[in-house]
Amino acid sequence: MRLSILDIDVDSNNVMVIGPPLVGKSILVRNILYEKVNNGFGGIYITTKDTAETVLDWFQKFNLNGDIKIIDCVSRTIFSDAPDTDNVKRVSIMDLTGISVRINMFLERFWKSGKRDVVIAFDSVSTVLMYLNPQTIFRFLHVLTNRIKSFGAFAFYTVDENMHDDRTIAMLKQLFNGVIELKEEENRRILRYLSPSTRTEWKEFNIVDDRLEVSS
Amino acid sequence: MRIGIPVLDELLKEIPRGKTLTYYIDPEVEGDVFGMQTLYKNLEEGYRCVYVTSTMSPVSLRNRFKEFGWFVDDFETFSIVDAYSAYIGASSNERYVVSDPTNLDEIDRVIKKAIEENDLIVFGSLSTILDICGDRALEYFERWKELAVDSVIVSNFTAWPYPKEILDKIKDLSNAVVTIGGIHHRVILGHYYGILKVDWTEVRGRAVLFKVAKPGGVKAYIPKILVTGPYNAGKSTFVHAISNKAVSVDRLGTTVALDHGKVEYKGFTIDVFGTPGQERFDPILKVLGSEALGVILVVDSTKPETLPRAKQLLEKTTQFGLPYVIAANKQDLPNALKPEEIRNLMHLPKDVPIIPTVATKKIGVYDVLDALINLLIGEGYGKSEGAT
Repeated sequence: MRLSILDIDVDSNNVMVIGPPLVGKSILVRNILYEKVNNGFGGIYITTKDTAETVLDWFQKFNLNGDIKIIDCVSRTIFSDAPDTDNVKRVSIMDLTGISVRINMFLERFWKSGKRDVVIAFDSVSTVLMYLNPQTIFRFLHVLTNRIKSFGAFAFYTVDENMHDDRTIAMLKQLFNGVIELKEEENRRILRYLSPSTRTEWKEFNIVDDRLEVSS
Repeated sequence: MRIGIPVLDELLKEIPRGKTLTYYIDPEVEGDVFGMQTLYKNLEEGYRCVYVTSTMSPVSLRNRFKEFGWFVDDFETFSIVDAYSAYIGASSNERYVVSDPTNLDEIDRVIKKAIEENDLIVFGSLSTILDICGDRALEYFERWKELAVDSVIVSNFTAWPYPKEILDKIKDLSNAVVTIGGIHHRVILGHYYGILKVDWTEVRGRAVLFKVAKPGGVKAYIPKILVTGPYNAGKSTFVHAISNKAVSVDRLGTTVALDHGKVEYKGFTIDVFGTPGQERFDPILKVLGSEALGVILVVDSTKPETLPRAKQLLEKTTQFGLPYVIAANKQDLPNALKPEEIRNLMHLPKDVPIIPTVATKKIGVYDVLDALINLLIGEGYGKSEGAT
C-alpha cells in the first residue's frame, strides 16, 4: 500500500508505529487514515486516548471525505453515558472482547458493502498496557493481527517507546511485520519504515497545524 | 433454573442447582449476551440473580441490558457484583463491591457472599478476572463451584489463545460447556453455538446459527446455501441429491422458480436454494445472495461453452464476499473436463475447491458440501463436535 504522505510503500499488514512521547505518532496515524480514507479506503480508528468526538473533530477540521468508523475506548472508561451511533461504538478499555467484536463488526460491514480496502489505526497500545498486563494484551493483539491479515487490511498501532520495558517491546514486535520508527535528534524529527523486505532511509518530518510533512 | 437460550432450553431442559455452565466464547464473537440472557430469563422466573462485572461500569452494564430490552432494575431480586469501578478509581453504590479487583482474596470474600445470598451468579467475563489476577483465579473458581451447592454459576469465558492447560481446566471445571463460535472467512460471516459438554443429561451434537437482536437477544436461525449454475448444469438434481427433503418449482423439466431443500448434516440444519439458470431470473440471485452463507456453483463439465455464463453467475452471487465451491458435474459423461481444466478455463484461484460430481448418482455431492462447510467453519466446528 502506497503512503504518499510518507513517500513509502508499506508491505506489511500490521505495522507498529513506535517512538518517544510527543514525537507525533498519533498525528502520523491520523494523517495516514486521512490520506487513505479520502482516497476510497474504509477507515477504523480505535482510540484509547481521546473520545470519539475529539477524533471526529480532527478529521472534520480537514474536511475528511469518506467512510470512517470509531471505536471509542475512553468515554465508557470515564463513565460518560454518550450513546453509540452507526459509526461510533463505545466500549470500556478493560473490555478487550468488546473491542475485538466491534472491530469485526465494522470489518464485516465494509466487506458486505463491497469495500475491500480498509485501513485501521490503533491509538494507542500503550494506554491499554496501563490497564492490563502484557500477556493479556499480547493474546488480544495476536487475535487482532491475524484478523487484519486475513481480511487484507492495513493496521497501524502506536506504541510509546519509553513507557514499557524491553521485554514488553520485544514481545509486541513479534506481532507486527512492519515498524515505523520515529525519533527526535538535534531538534529534528525523523522517521523510517522497516519490514523483512524493506528498510527506508531516515526521513525528516515536521508537523504543521496537525498535518505531517516529510522533507524531500 | 432456566437457560433462556433457544434450542439449548429444549436440549438441556434446565440447569440443576449445584451445577456450573460456561459459555466458551470465540474472542471475535459477541458472546456476553448469552450470560446476560440466562440471567434475565431467571429474573423473570423470580430467582435472585447477581451479575459480576469486571469489564464495564454498573451504569454501562445496565445500559447494555437495556439494549436488549431487559430492564433488570425492575426486579428487586437483581444485583451486581461491582469488580470494575475500583479498578479505575471510581466509587460504587452497588450491593456487592470489590474494593480491590486485583486481589483474589477480596474478590473471593465478595463472591462467597453473593453465592450465599443468590440463586444464580453470572460472571460477565471470567477471562478478565483471569487476566487481571493470574492463573490462580481458577483455584478460586473451583472453590466457588464447590460452595455453590444450592445455586448455579454461569460464566462467560472468552477463549483467547491461553495455554492449553488453562483452556482445558476451564472446561473440566464446568458441568456444561456451550461453545460460541464464528464462521470465519475473510470476515466473520455468521455465529453459531453448540454443546461441547454436559453432565446432567444426554444430548446429541447440534450446532445452531444465531443472530443477536436488539432488542431480543440471542435468536437462532437456519443458514442458507445457494446452489447456482448455468442452464441444465444439474442444479436441481444436485439440490435433491444432498437434501433430506426437497421440492422444485418447475415446468417442462427445467426450474423456473426455485429448488428448495433441507439438509441435516454435521449437526446443522441447512436450507439449500437452487436458482434458475436462465438470465431473466438473475435479479433473484441478488436477493438470495445477500441472505446466504455460501455458494455452490454447479457446472456441466461437458460443456465448456457454458463456463463464461457460470463465471458470470458466480460474480453475481459472490458480490457479498461469500465463500464458494465448484461442483464439476456430469463427470460420468464422455469428454468431461477435469477440475483443473475447468479452473484454467474459468481463471479461478488455486484455493477454490473444484470437486468432481455425478449428481444423478450422488457421487461427490457430499464432498462439495464438506468443502463448503470447511470454508465456512474450518477448525471452529471441531470445538462443538465433542457433544454426545
